[in-house]
Amino acid sequence: MMASVVLAAILGGAWLAALYRENGSRAILLPDRVMTLLPDPKPLTAFAFTDHENRVFDLSRLRGKWSFLFFGYTHCPDVCPMTLATLARAHENMAKSTAGAKDVQFVFISVDPSRDTAGKLMQYVTYFDTTFLGVTGDNAQLGKLADQLGATYQLAITPGVENYPVYHTAAVFLVDPRARYHAVFAPPLDAEGISRRFEVLRDLEGPKAT
Amino acid sequence: MRWRHLVGLILALTPIAAATEEASVSVRDAWVRETPPGIAMTAGYMVLQNRTSRPQVLVAARSSGFETVTIHRTIAKEGMTGMEHAPQIELLPKASLLFAPGGYHLMLLNPKRTLHAGDRVDVTLEFRGGLVLPVTYEVRK
Repeated sequence: MMASVVLAAILGGAWLAALYRENGSRAILLPDRVMTLLPDPKPLTAFAFTDHENRVFDLSRLRGKWSFLFFGYTHCPDVCPMTLATLARAHENMAKSTAGAKDVQFVFISVDPSRDTAGKLMQYVTYFDTTFLGVTGDNAQLGKLADQLGATYQLAITPGVENYPVYHTAAVFLVDPRARYHAVFAPPLDAEGISRRFEVLRDLEGPKAT
Repeated sequence: MRWRHLVGLILALTPIAAATEEASVSVRDAWVRETPPGIAMTAGYMVLQNRTSRPQVLVAARSSGFETVTIHRTIAKEGMTGMEHAPQIELLPKASLLFAPGGYHLMLLNPKRTLHAGDRVDVTLEFRGGLVLPVTYEVRK
C-alpha cells in the first residue's frame, strides 16, 4: 500500500486524485488516468489456454515475469494492431532501460478461438514483436481469466457472415511475477506512458513482487 | 443573341465551378496500416477537410485494390470496444474530421495484393451530390 502511495505521488506529481471501489477492491486512479493500481494485488486462479506454439499456457506461465495481457482478435483492423504496435514500442523502451525487459512478457489473448488458430496467432503476434505470445482457449477458459480481470468480450457470430463483429475490453492488464492482477492501463494507450510507469512500479515493488 | 451568350457563359463556367468545389474538400495525412502476415484486412486513416461553406456528406469509399471498402467507427459499448458501420458522415462547413486509430477509419477488406510499408493505395471517396475525391494513401507499419 505504502509503495503504491509513493508511486502515485512520484508518477502523478500529486497525491491520490481519486479512489473508487470496484469488484470489492480499492483501486488507485492516478491523476493522469493512464495506470490504475490495485493496492492489494489480486492473486489469479487457474485457467488453461494454448499458446501460438501449441504449448499449454496456464497460471504457471504467469509466474516469474511481469505479464502485460491484452484481449483481442486478429480480424480486427483498428484497435488490436494499434494496441499491439503500442505495446511493441513500450517493450522496446523497457528493453533500453537499465533493468531491461527480461522479466517482462506480452500476451495477446484471442477471444475468437474459432478463427484464431495457433498458426494464425503465431504469424500475427510475432509480426508486431518476435517475443510476443499469442494464446487462446475455449469460451469457458477465456471466461475464467477474463472474469478475474473484469474484462469482457462478445462475439456476434452470424452464420454466413465472414467478418462478424467482436467486442472486447481494450484495456491492458498487468499481472505481477506472483501471478497477481496488479494494475491496468486504460486506453488511449501510449507506449511511453506504459513503459515509464511500469519501470517505476517494478523498481518500487522490487524483489517483493517475485 | 445576348441571352444566348449568357447561356453559353454559364455553361462554360459550370465545369470550373464543379472543379473548384471538388478541390475544396481535401485530404491530408492519408495512410493505411500495413497488413500483418495472413491478415486480409486493414484500416485507412486521414484528415478530411471541408473547405466549402456547405456541409459535405461522405457516403461511400471504393478502391480497385480491395474487395470492399467500408466506413467504420470504433465505438465503446458496455465497457468494450467494437466497430460499427458508419453509413454516412457529415462534415460541417469549414471543418476537418479526423480518421484515426480508435475512431473513424476506412475498413479495407481483402486486398488484391499484400501491402508493405511504402506502398501506395488509391481509394476514391464519394460524397452526396456526386462529388468524388481520389485519394492516395501511404502504407505504413
